[in-house]
Amino acid sequence: MKQAAYIVNTGIITAIGNDTAACLDALLHSRTGVGKAEYLKTHWSEELPVAEVKASNEALAALAVVDAKWPRTAILSAIAVKEALQPLADKLQGLKVGFFSATTVGGMDLTENVYKAFKEDSSQVDFDNIKNHECGAITELVANHFGINDFVTTISTACSSSANSIMMAAQMIGNGMLDVAIAGGADSLSRFTLNGFNTLMILDKQFCQPFDNNRRGLNLGEGAGYLLLMSEKAMQQCGVTATCIVSGYANANDAYHQTASSPDGTGNKLAMGNALKVANLQPADINYINLHGTGTANNDSSEGKAIEVLFDGKVPAASSTKAYTGHTLGAAAGVEAVFSVLSIRHGLVYPNLRWQTQMEDVSFKPATELQQGVAINHVLSNSFGFGGNCSSLVFSKC
Amino acid sequence: MELYITGTGIVSGAGNSGDDSFLKEVPSYNTDKLLCIEPDYKAYIPAMQLRRMSKAVRIGIGASKMCMEAAGIEKPDAISVGTAMGCLADTEVFLGKMIAQDEQMLTPTAFIQSTHNTVSGQIALLAGCYGHNLTYVQRGHSFEHAVINTQLYLADNPHQQMLVGGIDELTDGSLEALKIGGINRKENSTPTDVLNGNTHGAVAGEGAAFFIMTDAKPATPAVCIKDVYAFTEKDTAVAAQKLTNYINSQSLNIDAVILGQSGDEKSNAFYQSLRSEVFSNTSQYAFKHLCGEYATASAFALGMLTNAIAKCEALPSHCALGNEASVLKNVLIVNHYMHYYSCFVLQIV
Repeated sequence: MKQAAYIVNTGIITAIGNDTAACLDALLHSRTGVGKAEYLKTHWSEELPVAEVKASNEALAALAVVDAKWPRTAILSAIAVKEALQPLADKLQGLKVGFFSATTVGGMDLTENVYKAFKEDSSQVDFDNIKNHECGAITELVANHFGINDFVTTISTACSSSANSIMMAAQMIGNGMLDVAIAGGADSLSRFTLNGFNTLMILDKQFCQPFDNNRRGLNLGEGAGYLLLMSEKAMQQCGVTATCIVSGYANANDAYHQTASSPDGTGNKLAMGNALKVANLQPADINYINLHGTGTANNDSSEGKAIEVLFDGKVPAASSTKAYTGHTLGAAAGVEAVFSVLSIRHGLVYPNLRWQTQMEDVSFKPATELQQGVAINHVLSNSFGFGGNCSSLVFSKC
Repeated sequence: MELYITGTGIVSGAGNSGDDSFLKEVPSYNTDKLLCIEPDYKAYIPAMQLRRMSKAVRIGIGASKMCMEAAGIEKPDAISVGTAMGCLADTEVFLGKMIAQDEQMLTPTAFIQSTHNTVSGQIALLAGCYGHNLTYVQRGHSFEHAVINTQLYLADNPHQQMLVGGIDELTDGSLEALKIGGINRKENSTPTDVLNGNTHGAVAGEGAAFFIMTDAKPATPAVCIKDVYAFTEKDTAVAAQKLTNYINSQSLNIDAVILGQSGDEKSNAFYQSLRSEVFSNTSQYAFKHLCGEYATASAFALGMLTNAIAKCEALPSHCALGNEASVLKNVLIVNHYMHYYSCFVLQIV
């Protein structure tokens, strides 16, 4: 019998807020974080809106109390980890603590500024801009800063990355390998990713409209989101309680195309169905689905169809929160895990911002009004990405 | 949980495991990098697809196909990959063009193939594998974590066949950065430098080593992973002590140890203290004179052993650092990369 992985605290920073309370306030008041890029210096700043954290690296580093020369992803990660961990950091003596992070961009925001000069004459470039390029280096900086070393890992499975870090953390607490885990992910904006997604022609030049028939694509975002997970033993030692657990998780592959989802969402269905199985739940038990809902024609259609089949037409309240935060890639599932926990804790269904027109090939309508005081016992959170990687998590009230 | 290895596939600077002469010859070179000697992929990858693949994808798919063939399976149930650097060549292609063209008139191919999960995704796509699929990117523990994930997955999903691999490719850009970082050596090295030298950095390497792992003991002789111990430590003396404590706690009669000795002055003291104090009565072998130093080189070391066992061969004589082992029953792999350490506890069953 596996031990439960209790969700004790959350940490988050996105374009809609620098911590959990600020993000919740924005969700309650339908405030989007999408807008013009101010800190990302790109040719496309006038044409491609992004959901940027509105602060310089220096200001963010001051918030995290870390070195401003770190890659932005590491700084964002440290801010969110600090929020999740700090209240209990001095109570963890003797407990085995793990850090499970996820990123797709690593230190690219610094590398891309010096790459040309580095290739021409490496001696002319400050090596500090290159040395933390690796995804694992980001996690290592943050783990060392907080003194976590019992188990430290990084997962990079594109847009589903941080769902997998939460899954692995829950497994390792489940079988007693760890007592405490901080699990989620972080990604900053970079010209590399913005231009990459732009070549795929899946970026919306306007503010994105997930699950709308006239959707045009996604807006990229940046941020970090982490859950502080504990075993029952660790909660007793820390004198804390939890409102919910990670009850289900699954990872599947769509095996259809490197960047596109299969039309009927094969991988999506497998991930959702298997996560429900692990949680020992039926589709009817789910009260809210936090959709992957990027706003691309392909994703929302595949995800919507997979949900209709799995839920046999009886789809619970569902919404995408990417119209608020943009698509934060490797951070997305961590960010949305925090929103899922808030949904359970406060009985909330978030409105799918900017929704106007019913999709033609999907019959269910996302939630468009804020619902408060709802009994939310089980939330399903989806994350699907490049490489066919599909992951779903289930969070349950305890 | 114990993992049994039923198939191995390697593409490396020392050749590939599909070749009968693999690791038979004493290596000879004077170079700063050991790049993969790639196989003829015709048997493994359709020509149309091969043309579009970067080296990382080619060697990854090639090694995974060899490995599945050796295990006698068409497709695995799940996939777990470790890669510290991911698909670097395509990353650099897109990055270079983005800068040169001031973010305009770019095409998507290199970007699509630049993501860290490209290799695991492409394997799933080619094999039609809808199962669990993960990619770990934790520097010198990327492969180790892919193996730990395999333990977690098979504990929940017994009697499945999991494809597990370690892969990294070297580019001109990464070699330059790794030389500045002191991981790889600026000057050329010979195999003797790697085995006996005391140099600043070690010869650079790259490669892909894939395995089929399962929780069910196979009928034919196979290597069993009893445990994987991985930790980070800045002080090499403390690291040597930690490993000594761990090995002593296993109370095993160890027949052979495969060491990641690379000739790098930063790790020589670590290996030397283990060799003289813990392994003084154990046959010792090296492997980095074959594959070079890179973040997922421990996968090559594991592959060197599993390939030999599957073919009923001894470990290559040119890898022995002294007396060769007369029997191979309990074997350790000890590796050090930057401040990342790992130890695989293996048993031939």
